[in-house]
Amino acid sequence: MEPARRTRRTPLLPVAGLAATAVFPFVVGPYLLHVGVTVLLWATLALSWDILARTGQVSLGHAGFFGAGVYSAALAHAHWGAGVIPGMLLAAVVAALLALVLGTVTLRLEGIYFAIATLAFGEVLRTLVTYFEGATGGPMGIGVPPMFGGNRVAAYYLVALLLVLTVAASYVVGSSRVRLALTCMRTNPQVAEALGVPTVKIKIALFVVSSSLVGMAGAAYIHYVTFAVPQEAFNLGISLSSVVASIFGGLYSTSGPLVGNLLLKSAEEYLRITVKYGHPIVYGLVLVLAVLFMPGGVVGVVKRWRSWK
Amino acid sequence: MTLVQALVNGILRSGLYALTSSGLALSVGVIGIVNFAHGEFLVLGAYLAYWAFVLAGVDPLLALPLGALLLFALGAGLYHFAVRPVLAAPELNQMLLTFGISVVLQNAALILWRGDPRTINPWYRSLPVQFAGVSTGLGRLLVFLLAAALVTGLFALLSRTRFGQAMRAVSQNREGAAVVGIGVNRTYLLAFGLSAALAGMAGVMLSTVLYAHPMLGLEFTLKAFSIVVMAGLGNLTGVLWASIVLGVAESLVGTYVPRGSGLADSVFFLLILLVLIARPKGLGAR
Repeated sequence: MEPARRTRRTPLLPVAGLAATAVFPFVVGPYLLHVGVTVLLWATLALSWDILARTGQVSLGHAGFFGAGVYSAALAHAHWGAGVIPGMLLAAVVAALLALVLGTVTLRLEGIYFAIATLAFGEVLRTLVTYFEGATGGPMGIGVPPMFGGNRVAAYYLVALLLVLTVAASYVVGSSRVRLALTCMRTNPQVAEALGVPTVKIKIALFVVSSSLVGMAGAAYIHYVTFAVPQEAFNLGISLSSVVASIFGGLYSTSGPLVGNLLLKSAEEYLRITVKYGHPIVYGLVLVLAVLFMPGGVVGVVKRWRSWK
Repeated sequence: MTLVQALVNGILRSGLYALTSSGLALSVGVIGIVNFAHGEFLVLGAYLAYWAFVLAGVDPLLALPLGALLLFALGAGLYHFAVRPVLAAPELNQMLLTFGISVVLQNAALILWRGDPRTINPWYRSLPVQFAGVSTGLGRLLVFLLAAALVTGLFALLSRTRFGQAMRAVSQNREGAAVVGIGVNRTYLLAFGLSAALAGMAGVMLSTVLYAHPMLGLEFTLKAFSIVVMAGLGNLTGVLWASIVLGVAESLVGTYVPRGSGLADSVFFLLILLVLIARPKGLGAR
């Protein structure tokens, strides 16, 4: 579902969201702070997925770039003692280069073909990292000391900063001419080409931007949890939940993936505690029902409700 | 291990790939639905065979018709209540729906049967068969032959019967098929049921050469997807070739590369990536 044409109105919601994010660490205990870090980190993943999706390309390769970020940061620490910030910068560069190569060779792929190619890319990286255990620690995983000496409030703000960066990227991409070009590319690529939209450049550029954000998220993740194995760093769940959060919240917008991620991650955390065993079954049911009965996502429902008023 | 042995192992392995993937090719090609729950049908088939063997002593290969029937019913039911309503929705929503179904089925299996692999040992499972210096288990040979027979049957069904013709017509041109009096919705329902039944039968047979486990579903979904995409959407003959190519490639790497079994999956996906880069619409595309 396409978002309604953006009009100039007071940015009440973004400001409120930013304020709530900023004061959150001061009003909650350590457990909720940890949940907060998780939600913010996954919000970056969901929104960066949506940024690429706006070109019409459905990627299942998020896990690959996330894992690339995790291992860039961890190896940079192992070899040069790099901390979280240099680790994130390196991860961004590595992910960007990988995206540049992958984006260039998969340019002609569309729809499910692109999805499978990106998925295959992530799986290849996972098995390679597992196989070359001399360099990567293999299936036994790799560790780093906690960032900022274990100060979780500082970690929270770093992850929040990464999300702000992602939101900023989303706003730039969602602004005026670029947004029109993207909508055209998505709905009718031939027309976009004919109108002189540089579709190839836009696709690759957004793939690079999206992937480097994911790479940074991976670097922040390993420095936060301090340990990761390939199964986890390249977990397909990373790709899938980014897709799910965006669709559940509402596609091709900044608010949709953020809202979808917040709701799904909170629900997942709540279920994890209350329904100890097999809780993802409820998660799956919610998904099925959401698709069947609210295909425009949460944001779509809110929009419809607003227009009735 | 000789080269011939490695090739034979790969080809034997490709039988179940072909059966599973041709089922997925039906739902993708005929209905146009990208079904992430396809592997879950296979898992259900495997558990069905396990319980039939453990509780009633029924040989897994004799449980094949039962597996086909039950999974056909499940597939038809899922089509009617979940898939049909989203047929007109964007592809993404369809993917999300079937992904949700897959999550539900996978976790239901985890809750019911826990996460430990369940193995059964029918008498033919590890009975050695030798021919011209090549050896294998009778179970794997039987499974391959049965899978080949079933795939042949599927091809005959598609080319010789009215139902098969209807399915091909609908996949080529939905409106045109409706105009000449083919019940599109009914054909979709049968195709989806058949697709689930094929995966279910593959699962029943898988239990005799591997084991039953809730997490097998995702692995097989991904492999089946890759095969279907490599073949080119809706190209059933291509599915056979792609299955053999991938089965043999996995086997060769597992045999000749040190610690190669860990790399087999990598080769699988690397091949897919390369094929897609070279032929963006799959190997079978014109």
